[in-house]
Amino acid sequence: MNTLFAVAVGALTVYLAYTQYARRIDRKIIQSDPKRATPAKLYMDGVDFMPTNRNILFGYHFKSIAAAGPIVGAIEAATLWGWLPALIWLVLGVSFIGWVSDYSAIALSVRNEGNSLSAVAHRLVSPRTRLLLFLFIFFYLLLLAGAFVGIMASVLESQPRTHLGIILLVVMGLLLGQMLYRWKMGLVVATLITVGITLMGILAGPLTEAAFKGFNAALNAMTGGTPIVTYFDPTLANFKGAEAKIMPSLLFWAIAICIFCYAGSVLPIWRMAQPVVYVGFWITALAMFLGLFGAAVGALFKPAVAQFQIPAFKAWNPQLGPAGTMPLWPMLFVTIACGAVSGWHALFGTVGTARQIENEADMLPVGAGSMFAEFLLGLLALLAVSVGAKGAPVAAFANGLGGFISVWGVPRDYAVSLAFASFIVIVLVVTQLIFRVMRVTLSEWLGEVIPPFRNQHVASFISVLLAILLVLTGTRIYLWQLFGAANQLMAALSLLLVTVWLASMGRNWLYAGLPMAFMYVTTAASILVTAYNLYYNVYQPNIVAGRIVPVIGSGLMVVVALLLLVAALFIGVDGLRAFLKYLRRPAPAPRAAPARR
Amino acid sequence: MAESVLKQRVDATTAALAHRLFRGWKAAKQFLYGLTGYEFTRHALAMRHELEAIFMVVTMGDLIGIPMMPPIYSLRFLPYVVPEISAWKRQMARKREFLEKEEYDLHGL
Repeated sequence: MNTLFAVAVGALTVYLAYTQYARRIDRKIIQSDPKRATPAKLYMDGVDFMPTNRNILFGYHFKSIAAAGPIVGAIEAATLWGWLPALIWLVLGVSFIGWVSDYSAIALSVRNEGNSLSAVAHRLVSPRTRLLLFLFIFFYLLLLAGAFVGIMASVLESQPRTHLGIILLVVMGLLLGQMLYRWKMGLVVATLITVGITLMGILAGPLTEAAFKGFNAALNAMTGGTPIVTYFDPTLANFKGAEAKIMPSLLFWAIAICIFCYAGSVLPIWRMAQPVVYVGFWITALAMFLGLFGAAVGALFKPAVAQFQIPAFKAWNPQLGPAGTMPLWPMLFVTIACGAVSGWHALFGTVGTARQIENEADMLPVGAGSMFAEFLLGLLALLAVSVGAKGAPVAAFANGLGGFISVWGVPRDYAVSLAFASFIVIVLVVTQLIFRVMRVTLSEWLGEVIPPFRNQHVASFISVLLAILLVLTGTRIYLWQLFGAANQLMAALSLLLVTVWLASMGRNWLYAGLPMAFMYVTTAASILVTAYNLYYNVYQPNIVAGRIVPVIGSGLMVVVALLLLVAALFIGVDGLRAFLKYLRRPAPAPRAAPARR
Repeated sequence: MAESVLKQRVDATTAALAHRLFRGWKAAKQFLYGLTGYEFTRHALAMRHELEAIFMVVTMGDLIGIPMMPPIYSLRFLPYVVPEISAWKRQMARKREFLEKEEYDLHGL
């Protein structure tokens, strides 16, 4: 098996799903009408509601939904079950669920005056749904923040070659904000300067590796080589489970990341968060662009980098630790989230993109098109980890992606540096945004009851503290899968709303209802499996050993899992009631479909 | 005769191809702009809008029930702000707090 075949499968999937299924749904069921006024035109205010060209909006929406999700998920899934189940889920997920969720959420918002999912849920389902949505958002962001900070800290600790590039990324991001908004410089010149310097820092990484390695060693020497926290991690020792040790250097990098994210959360968005994301985008886009085309042509010009190294299928139920279980169903379907289906896309689509749709005919290329582009990103990550094979999952990904980039003549060592940096960059820039949204969510959710939460520093500090606690428990896979479950539940919720909305109009709701039912049952089951794993695999061994920090962390994760499950049950019951109510009501007169374009 | 028809067909095909290429290039440029600069444009617009909203409140506040300036000054400004009034009132109606800042907003989640 080589990458060319997988890329061909991906391209064929996109073509068939878009032309044979998505277009049909758009024409027959949603009946998008180019002559109907959209909220962007009706309520144009030049800020939120603004009619925007479809190509621009496609780029904007894709950038907003594409983050580290499709990359990390594919890496974890390929490591656990092999590349074939991951590939099949990516293909089937995006074809029958992913684009449906993204596109339909945008259509739902466009047809409901640009309202967000929670506002539509309030009207169509029940008033308490908005509160449940806040609970969802906060905890799933917390899980994501914990997983990302943990992954980044361990990569930064083990890969000193990336440090210079990351430090320069932050400095150049700050400089870019100053250049654009204060010095009023042109975007092209400012981009060339800041992205160029950051890229040079990343490529020069191998030259500074020894210095940063010495720095990490000096940090560890402060405690005489003794770990700060020790815990049982079922994912170590080839998934047999072993004692994990948190060294001072790892804690240092975790705290450094949190300080960076804290600043990104409380500073004005133009000062830090936005320009850092922008500089990071170019680095990642460069690596992904070179990587994707490298994967496609690598099989022809450099076959050594394009051959799959990991098994196609590993096991139906790989054992993680002495008491752990990881059945392919339901766990694969939450491990790979964003490349196949994601609730975040639907959330963002309703509040960001739907209000800029100029013409109903643009909903499909923007909503579904962006999801298919994200699928290709997930596919690239899967290919990279499948051909990489060396070391830990992230190292395998970087090694594989570096191989693809080297097809273009970049020396392998520099290409791997760029691949490592691109991974850290995409995770880092997303994490600071996560903390920002967590802070705002916490203020909105609890601010009215507990006024101190309205203070941005208090809300940010609590968010950072909770994330650090999760990092210290260390079980990255469980954190990731809980996040995936929350994310997929959000997708199920958006599909539920679309189903209720279609039923309320007397249209065929099956294309959204069936994926909703599948995602709902799967994610609920996955939450139960993860809670079981956390309790028997992490909580119990650590409580026997008397280790308080991992016990608190894993206990917190079990509580979060159960909270998510309860919230999902409430939403499901409310949704079913609303659905049955609309189903019993006589359907309105059918509206003629617009002429085929 | 046949040669001239053939030449016309070749010209038409070339023109159609050039047109398609031009459209593709334009779409690619717009996509790249959406990926990169569009977010800065949106944010700059939002920042300008915040400043303009303050200006509107201190000049035309009575339109939303806040008498802030003697009407004579408001009347002098009136011709300049008339085009902005409807969008400004819509924005103000959507805000939960009087001077809610765009960057601290959850964007309606």
